[in-house]
Amino acid sequence: MTVHPTRNIPGLSFRLGALGLSVTETLLVFVGIPAAAVLVIAGLAAAGSRGGGGGGAKRYRPGRPFDFTPVWFLGRPEQLADSAGTALAAGAQAPALTSRKQEQAGREAPAGGTGGASDRW
Amino acid sequence: MEPEAQVTVGEKQAATGTGNPPEVLDGPFSTRQLLRIDEALRLADQGTGLVFSVYVGGLDEPIREHAQRLHRQLAEPDKSVLIAVSPNQRQLEIVTGRYARKRIPDTYAKLAALSMVASFGGGDLAGGIIQGLDQLASHAGKG
Repeated sequence: MTVHPTRNIPGLSFRLGALGLSVTETLLVFVGIPAAAVLVIAGLAAAGSRGGGGGGAKRYRPGRPFDFTPVWFLGRPEQLADSAGTALAAGAQAPALTSRKQEQAGREAPAGGTGGASDRW
Repeated sequence: MEPEAQVTVGEKQAATGTGNPPEVLDGPFSTRQLLRIDEALRLADQGTGLVFSVYVGGLDEPIREHAQRLHRQLAEPDKSVLIAVSPNQRQLEIVTGRYARKRIPDTYAKLAALSMVASFGGGDLAGGIIQGLDQLASHAGKG
């Protein structure tokens, strides 16, 4: 560390503070440290948004296209009837519904008497 | 819509066995939301004796018929209630079977639909589904 020239001037006895720093030190302290802090925070923010936890890309916003795999929830998976209309044995894996099964279901006589409601948003 | 791409809860368990991330996580919900929906479904089924089921995905035109077709695929359509949500078409269908309709009249299904749609309009799919399940189940009462 080089001593700043003003330190050697006789009669100047006040504390030099930042004036005592060389140009490199000044740059390191006043540019380097803030830049490092900014980089660390930006890095954390980027990692957080990519890692999920409600990441922006997956969020549903009405009116914007929303890309996802269709899901069908059942309280108990064995309650899904197979194409023959019989329930799967308890504990069996419920298979994904194929289009063939959906068409078969469509050909069956309408159940009739179903109720419910429809709505849009 | 790709019907082959549908995921049922049964597959979720199959996928976890292989070490790959379960396919159901490609769906619209986070793990925490999935757990909450699962819990809501379980409570609704247990409390009412009806069979509740939630489908989230595209519905072909005519939408109502497609929802009824899905409802017929359930093991016991008569005592089943299907909630079909199509986020991209912004359409909600509630289908109640013949017996379930006696427990949940259409007017109450419409009420539940209204509150669900309010949540969906705010972008909260999971919250709307859970709220709707709760309303339908509490109106159906004990089986």
